[in-house]
Amino acid sequence: MTVAEAKKLLKKRKQQDEEAPEKPAFEESVALEMLSEDENDADAQSESDDGEVDAFPEIDPRSDSENEESEKSEDDDDELEEDVEEDSDEDSHPDLQIFPKSKTIVSDITGQPKRVYPEIEPDYDSDSSTEDDPNRVGNVPMHWYDDLPHVGYDINGKRVLRPAQGDELDKFLQTVEDPTAWTSAFDKNAQMDKPLSADELDIIRRLQAGENPDGDYDPYEPTVEWFTGKGKEEIMPLSAAPEPKRRWLPSKWEKQKIMKIVRAIRQGRIVGSKPTNADTKSFYPIWNELPSNQEPPLPAPKPRLPTNSESYNPPAEYLPTDVERKQWENTDPENRERDYLPQKYSALRLVPAYDRFIKERFNRQLDLYLAPRIQRTKLNIDPNSLIPKLPSPSSLKPFPNYNSLKFSHVKGRVRCLSVSPDGAWVVSGDEEGMVSVWEVNVGREIKRWKLDGKIGAIEWCPRTDVSFFVVGTEEKLHFFIPPHLTPSIFNLTHSLLAPATLPPATQSPIKWMSSASSTDGSILTLNLPSSSGLPKQLAWHRKGDYLASVSSSESQGGVWIHQMSRRHSQAPFKKIKGAVQLVLFHPTKPHFFVATQRYVRVYNLAEQKLLKTLMPGIKWISSMDVHPSGDHVIVGGYDRKLCWFDLELSDKPYKILRYHTRAIRSLQFHPTYPLFASSSDDGSIQIFHARVYSDLMTDPLIVPLKILRGHDVKEGLGVLQIKWTNKQPWLVSAGADGNVLVWCS
Amino acid sequence: MGRLKQKGKAGAAKAYVTRSSAVKRLQCSLADFRRLCILKGIFPREPRNKKKANKGSTAPTSFYYAKDIAYLAHEPVLKKLREHKAFAKKISRALGRGEWSIAKNLEETKPTYRLDHIIKERYPTFVDAVRDIDDALCMIFLFASLPSNLRVSSSLIANCARLAAEWQLYIMHSQSLRKVFFSIKGIYYQAEVVGQSVTWLVPYQFTQNIPSDVDVRVMLTFLELYQTLLGFTFFKLYTDAGLVYPPPLDTSKDESGAGVGAFSLQETESTVPLSTPKTKNSVKTISSKEVRQTIKNIAANSAAVDPEPDMDVDYENEDPRGLDEEFVAQPSATEPNAVATLPTLHLLSSIPQTTSMKLFAPYAFFLSRESSRAIFEFLVRSFGGRIGWPASLGSGSPLQETDDSITHVIIDRPVTKKPNETVEERDRRLRRKYVQPQWIADCINAGKILLEDHYAQGKTLPPHLSPFGEREGAYDPMIGPTNQDAVDGEEDVMDSEQDDEDIPTPELAELGPGVNLADDPDALRAVELAAEVAGMDYTEFEKEIKKSQTKPKPSEAQTKDDGEQDMNKMLMSNKQRKLYERMKHGERKRAAEHAKLEQKRQHIEKEQRRKT
Repeated sequence: MTVAEAKKLLKKRKQQDEEAPEKPAFEESVALEMLSEDENDADAQSESDDGEVDAFPEIDPRSDSENEESEKSEDDDDELEEDVEEDSDEDSHPDLQIFPKSKTIVSDITGQPKRVYPEIEPDYDSDSSTEDDPNRVGNVPMHWYDDLPHVGYDINGKRVLRPAQGDELDKFLQTVEDPTAWTSAFDKNAQMDKPLSADELDIIRRLQAGENPDGDYDPYEPTVEWFTGKGKEEIMPLSAAPEPKRRWLPSKWEKQKIMKIVRAIRQGRIVGSKPTNADTKSFYPIWNELPSNQEPPLPAPKPRLPTNSESYNPPAEYLPTDVERKQWENTDPENRERDYLPQKYSALRLVPAYDRFIKERFNRQLDLYLAPRIQRTKLNIDPNSLIPKLPSPSSLKPFPNYNSLKFSHVKGRVRCLSVSPDGAWVVSGDEEGMVSVWEVNVGREIKRWKLDGKIGAIEWCPRTDVSFFVVGTEEKLHFFIPPHLTPSIFNLTHSLLAPATLPPATQSPIKWMSSASSTDGSILTLNLPSSSGLPKQLAWHRKGDYLASVSSSESQGGVWIHQMSRRHSQAPFKKIKGAVQLVLFHPTKPHFFVATQRYVRVYNLAEQKLLKTLMPGIKWISSMDVHPSGDHVIVGGYDRKLCWFDLELSDKPYKILRYHTRAIRSLQFHPTYPLFASSSDDGSIQIFHARVYSDLMTDPLIVPLKILRGHDVKEGLGVLQIKWTNKQPWLVSAGADGNVLVWCS
Repeated sequence: MGRLKQKGKAGAAKAYVTRSSAVKRLQCSLADFRRLCILKGIFPREPRNKKKANKGSTAPTSFYYAKDIAYLAHEPVLKKLREHKAFAKKISRALGRGEWSIAKNLEETKPTYRLDHIIKERYPTFVDAVRDIDDALCMIFLFASLPSNLRVSSSLIANCARLAAEWQLYIMHSQSLRKVFFSIKGIYYQAEVVGQSVTWLVPYQFTQNIPSDVDVRVMLTFLELYQTLLGFTFFKLYTDAGLVYPPPLDTSKDESGAGVGAFSLQETESTVPLSTPKTKNSVKTISSKEVRQTIKNIAANSAAVDPEPDMDVDYENEDPRGLDEEFVAQPSATEPNAVATLPTLHLLSSIPQTTSMKLFAPYAFFLSRESSRAIFEFLVRSFGGRIGWPASLGSGSPLQETDDSITHVIIDRPVTKKPNETVEERDRRLRRKYVQPQWIADCINAGKILLEDHYAQGKTLPPHLSPFGEREGAYDPMIGPTNQDAVDGEEDVMDSEQDDEDIPTPELAELGPGVNLADDPDALRAVELAAEVAGMDYTEFEKEIKKSQTKPKPSEAQTKDDGEQDMNKMLMSNKQRKLYERMKHGERKRAAEHAKLEQKRQHIEKEQRRKT
């Protein structure tokens, strides 16, 4: 190409560019006119348009010949079209043929031969659809053609090429330059902007104004009376039946019903509804008539009246400190002692609203209808009046109240002790097997024996004409004669324990073995049955002839009664319920007390039967003593209880006392004075005054006199045994700390 | 041996029913049951043995008397509640179908119940009712100050406000107010009506909001009962006082915020047979009333407010100020009639107080705008005084600020200097006494006019103490050494008294056994306890302590006694011992509280002395 040609080409392109905005608009307007032409009747303008359309292919080649690059494919189509047109021209001449002749050509899309029919002559008698929009793809998404050069097919299956589209700048220029741009819209099928027709614009205007889009629609057109109105009356009725009477006569039955109501109203049976809620507020003297003699319900308790601390301006001492405030805030509301914190305001105007006012009112109401009420009689007494009035201990002297001397066993706790009947000597035995005899008054030891094994029990014979004591060790009872006896007593004692002529032997499993020669050993030994264990208690009968022993073993036959004069032992019970803890002889009658773990049974030995069972209600009985009169028994237990039984009165205790903090270990009545004492594992000894009256009506008087403290608690054990001296109000106590103390008045 | 007893056929098992079984038996919902219980005053009972009452179960349940429930079964209100249930079904059906006329008809015939019979049952006599209106008044006054909302209708609140005003009117009219206490919770008032002391609590005038954890239904049910109760009670009170109930309300005044003044009290016509003796009395008393009125007017030197001398029975045309005067004049004439019961001991004890009933009669008060009108109008008028207020506190003030008869101004703000004061204003200011509101309450509680100087504007107020008193033997801030000098001065007098008191408590004279009590707080405590045990007053105790410190007498009798008592406690039965321990515990607690307050006070006084 030469430069001149290139210049020419450039010039032409420019020209074309100038024409380009014009051309599509023109084409579009043509197409749209054609569309609108279908709706409207054909007019002269459309005819002229048609002419242009017809002329369009003639104009086109002129312009197309130069811009081949852009519309090459279109050219192909055009050529093809021209070919077909030529064919159809040839075929159209013989009009006689009913079916147009088909032609087989090779399709350039599929490459297959296809039959092509000649074009139908677009006459006026032909289908108007031929004049339609060339693109016949129908209602498919147009983006399917986005990357194709054409935008669809016309009715002949020929491609409709995509119209030329400028860039954004072109579009913008077009909107600026074209005065009709704002009335044009994008046509999807043609893929270009087409100006809207006046009718279409009118429809848009109407839609905007909210009117009916159809301009011809007349909402106020007069009704056309098709079937009614003047001259259109039906001449022939559907039914020939005569008009019934009920159409014009009033109903009899209705009248009757109405008359019934009227009569009822007249007679006052039906009263019109009066205005309600008229008399709800009326009050009248309700309390004028006499009240029924039914008792009125108890009034609800009134809330407590406010105290000084609730004042808005209380004295300063009522105000809580920071600690108290914090404590109040940390406690739960239901646990607080009072439901508010005292506060002080300098003036009444500064007092704020109380935030829990409604809540408190509500709580009060909950109390009123949900809280159970109990009527309590308020006890307005001095609490000290509840303490029983008892005679002063100072008026009940003498009783032991101070510790006069101490006798120590160096090793081992002192389990048991006994005081001689004349009250001058004490014999005590410890767990190491040491038995000591010492004087009460000065505490001088005069003799000691060493036995093998623990000492379980020691008991001095109550006889005054003889003097000896019994010591219980493992499965053995040893009889000892204390030193420094007058010869007559010693001789008598010796002859009793080791008689020259033995009484006739009896059948008994227990052997009495006297050894007359030994002066510092035991003079008489009883071998208890084997595996009977340590005798834990020995009890003499008042006359000193019988001795009862209780062994610690749980097996049968723990209880033995030994008769000194006959040197005979026997088991009084073949079988006994429970483990025997203690036994006692009644001081005056031939009765025998046996304490098992929970009960005390009283047997008549003469008649050999059970008299009664005392029920102290103690879990484990530890100690028991009987009053010198024989009518009262005290029982102590490991569960700290002390029960006083009046044997005449009942099987149940007359009085239960619980004052020791630990288990009771030992109890004893004084033989002559009205005293008794109890010792406990808490290391204390409690002295009581216990006066028993001879008439049955007066209750025994029990007065606590003194608490004696002097023993130490060792390994949980305190005072293990206490004994009174016979003649004086003196007490001797043996403790687990290895000391034996004498308490004097 | 008699017939075998079946389990659950007698005794506690039969006498008590659980709540759920009660609801089942009454065939009503739990809410209805609750409502019935509130209205009828039926409350749960605590059986002696829960296991026996509940078929061996110990689950926590509330028990009611079976007889109470049987009694509820015949309650007309229960019938109405059932009818209401049916009505609710019908109307919801009609509304659902859109049958408006049927719904309207149904609405007109809505079942309502009245509580008259319940009031009569629960309070067979009038005195019973008056005894039990404390809670009712509290509730009425509370609801009168609540804002209305969906659940609490405005008509209800208006009714509560009306009842509250009627009660205040009656109290003012009968001059039966006795005590008043400004607490942090509200204001406690105590009045004596029909020989019963009635105490009620009024919240301060702030908007209260119903908290979410409060069941409004329960409160409204109570309020329903209380409104009826108060209506009947006020009717009786008013008619017995010869007044018309309900008192007519002047709506225009009410709208302009006249408060209590919007109601006007009318005397009944003599045709009412009930109050025939009363009307006679009132006719008789008119002359004496006038005389008293004139005397009072002379005394007060207030010619400005002279009521009409020839008063008719109808006071409608009169201005409210005149009415107030009327209230002041006639209470003594009507009061004895109102109190129909025999003069009880309580009543007799209150008779000497009648002199203080017209405590404020010679004075005229003016409220400054920051003090609450509702409170002080009620207080002052209850004690015969006249009171005015600025227009900002509502209309209907009988006195203007410039009125010369005003003697006191109730003011509750710090002193401020007015820059440009006219001579007239200054004169007025000097003539009047400016007191803080507490002065009114303290005067009423003391029964006499106190010195205004302690309560003057801007002064630090003396503490405001409860007029209801504390329990016996509690710490009393008024007694005891306020400062050391005063005590020393009084010592001589006390000593002379001491000699008399020594006789009944001889062992207390020898309190301190050689121990220096002032140094040893434990010993002091023990001795104090012992004194408490002996029933000794604290002041006496203090004197004793002082004495013992001056002349310590060594003796061991007291400690010995204690030891003996401790030993004697061994012989108490278990029950007695527990009771004793409980009582002792309480005593110790109270004594500790007392000692704490005392200690705090001493500390505070020491601080003050150090400062000065």
